[in-house]
Amino acid sequence: MKNKIFLIFLIFVLNLFAKVDLVTLPSREKVQLTIYNSADLTLVRDERILTLKKGENSLQFSWANTLIDPTSLDLIPKQDVASINISQLIFPPRVSELGLWKIESKFSKKIPFEISYFTSGISWEAFYIGTLSNDEKSMELKGYVKVINKSGEDYENASVRLVVGKINLLEMIRVLAKRYPPYGTPGYLPPAPLIEKERGVEMLKAAKAVLAEAKEKEIIKEGVSEYFLYTIEGTENLPDKWSKRLLSFSQKDIPVEFFYKYEEERYGKNARRFIKFANDQNHKLGKEPLPDGLIKIFKYTNKEGNLSYMGSDKTKYIPIGEKVELDLGESKEVKIDTKLMDLKKKNFVFNKDGNISGWEEEKIYKIKVTNYKNLPVKVEIKRNFPHQYWKIEVDKNIQWEKYDIGSVKFTLTLAPFETREFTYKLILFEGDRRY
Amino acid sequence: MKKVLIILFIIFSISYARTKLVALPDREISYIRFDAPYTAFVEEERILTLQKGINQVDFSWKGVNIDQDSINLTFLTNPDKLKLISLSYPPEGNSLIWEIYSPEGGEEKVRISYLLSNIDCLYTYKIVVDKNEENINFTSYIILRNFSGEDFEKGIVTPEFGKTFETSTKNEETKQILIYQKDGIKFEKIFVFDASRMIWDPETAKENVGIPVYFEIKNVKESGLGEFPLLLGKTRMFQIESSGSSIFLGEDNLKYIPVGESFRLYFGDSRDIVVKQKKMKDTKINIRKNNSGDIVLYDTDEIIRIEIENFRDKIAKIEILENISDEWDMEESTHKYEKIDSNNIKFVIDLKPKSKEIVEFHYHRRNLR
Repeated sequence: MKNKIFLIFLIFVLNLFAKVDLVTLPSREKVQLTIYNSADLTLVRDERILTLKKGENSLQFSWANTLIDPTSLDLIPKQDVASINISQLIFPPRVSELGLWKIESKFSKKIPFEISYFTSGISWEAFYIGTLSNDEKSMELKGYVKVINKSGEDYENASVRLVVGKINLLEMIRVLAKRYPPYGTPGYLPPAPLIEKERGVEMLKAAKAVLAEAKEKEIIKEGVSEYFLYTIEGTENLPDKWSKRLLSFSQKDIPVEFFYKYEEERYGKNARRFIKFANDQNHKLGKEPLPDGLIKIFKYTNKEGNLSYMGSDKTKYIPIGEKVELDLGESKEVKIDTKLMDLKKKNFVFNKDGNISGWEEEKIYKIKVTNYKNLPVKVEIKRNFPHQYWKIEVDKNIQWEKYDIGSVKFTLTLAPFETREFTYKLILFEGDRRY
Repeated sequence: MKKVLIILFIIFSISYARTKLVALPDREISYIRFDAPYTAFVEEERILTLQKGINQVDFSWKGVNIDQDSINLTFLTNPDKLKLISLSYPPEGNSLIWEIYSPEGGEEKVRISYLLSNIDCLYTYKIVVDKNEENINFTSYIILRNFSGEDFEKGIVTPEFGKTFETSTKNEETKQILIYQKDGIKFEKIFVFDASRMIWDPETAKENVGIPVYFEIKNVKESGLGEFPLLLGKTRMFQIESSGSSIFLGEDNLKYIPVGESFRLYFGDSRDIVVKQKKMKDTKINIRKNNSGDIVLYDTDEIIRIEIENFRDKIAKIEILENISDEWDMEESTHKYEKIDSNNIKFVIDLKPKSKEIVEFHYHRRNLR
């Protein structure tokens, strides 16, 4: 037990000219952590009961060796709001990591208060494990969240909430936590830097910290403003330097489309494996947006349930209703060969000096697609052109579309072990032939 | 820690014997105004016990940064009778000596004013949006930072805006003081896609491309504010959620906002609004050539297509900012737009929940060389 946050409640009683200080240590009634994943920030709400005396009361709050941002300190009475006036928070001279609230009360009474502040050092991340069926048509998806406490403070029986979303921050909480005096000194208030150095490394180290075994708890999800809030059922103990993993959701039989992409400029000469699904009801999902995180994909290899590892991808945040494409890396199961078979220059035009001012280039490409798998495959081939002045003629039985001003996309479905070839003729207009 | 000292030397001119009597008059009250950055204008009132004849008042300071040329002395009790004969700066610095002529002995209330450095005020704001996103609670704090070297036991502080209040302030103390709180303030939430700064095709980006979201608030009576200008300060924004507790939405700096003006605070990015922009056409037309056949003048024919999708379950007001360089004419546009300046246009779209809309505009850039 090494709580570093202390609350001292000072009651000044004027007794025959002698000023007697009575000190009480109000204990923590409830604590709620709202942890962000886009920034190193956690909003802590700490509920304590104070016995107020009529008149002026002082509450001293100290937080040595923690990562609390003093400029975020707030004290809110939970009842009798109209009779309690908290007008000042004082950071006394030459004392660091300590604040003093002046509380004016109209009566003597026990009042629950909420102390709130930002701390850095607590983070969370999402990750997923997907398991494909043998026929690659469906997937079981499990989403997890991991909470990592490196804040310097132990949080016991804390209700934990996780925020999915990107907030705007002007200064890093970690830097504000170390700044003394809390608001700097006049004439010189350097903005705390926002660049998060080596956070990834820290996160990785933290990830290797001991994982507490957690029983499966429900995580309640709701949208708030532009963010999504995950509330973990019940309370959690989060000692300093510990991490905790919780199951966020689990869904079986999600229909997925397994397919291959080929685009030389983007992926090189190899085909890449992709899985496509959508975060919607048709895919037995769509109850909540999926936070960004690493997803690992496995596949059942036999009836005994043995698995093989297919690959992993970092997913972006996926809103409800949005489609998802997971890139599982290069594949040797499907091979795509592109060859330039013929090149002709023609229809030259000349200017009045006799120089070439325009021409057409006719290129014939042959594309050979081979499926080495015992399952049918879908292949998307994107071809990018050097500019937008072009015309294309494609073999009749091939499905294709113009993707944008400088590219087309071919879509093929191949039977197991099938090889297919097709050709297209690309005419590029150069110089005056463009207009 | 009192570092500003007033020593009253009274020189009896009788028989030219310079006998000094020393009195240390206490500071009665101090008015502290924050009119300039990092500096306070201090007016302090003290009672001087003056003798008949010439009195020498020595005003000195140590460890504080007073602008000595700003020091001024005003008589409050007998302004007509008393005369300030001279003011001199001794060679050792950080002090000055007033010579005051008094026709008769007695107490005189004086006001000494000066500019004091290393004491100032910052402003911070807190915004709490209610559960239904209808109103906000607006709170403003002053952060009094006193690193001047001087304590003020009874200071009447006048901030740049807001009401004057009384407080004490010790050297090296920082104090957060609540100065304004108002509930029920109206606001609007606005999503902004700026095509000249943001990624056109979010699918090509490794990270999520969020659409920046702003609160727009008017500093006018109708929206619940409009009492005084708002000064620069960090604003932290929160929103109450279904459990009655609140979450932190983000923070932004509020700039100086005069009464009557509106302001925007950027709090975070929405990933439930997805904007994808594509160029569908960009060709040269109306080509003019010189005698050598080189193109000397042309126009362009360009089409921009923007797909906006709202995955939220609430309506979203989205601003689309587009930049068109050079001289141009709009041929057609699926939506009305506002011309911000010669090269910038703005579409404002109210997008229904869970819906998609396509904005397409077709323009010619003219007389390009």
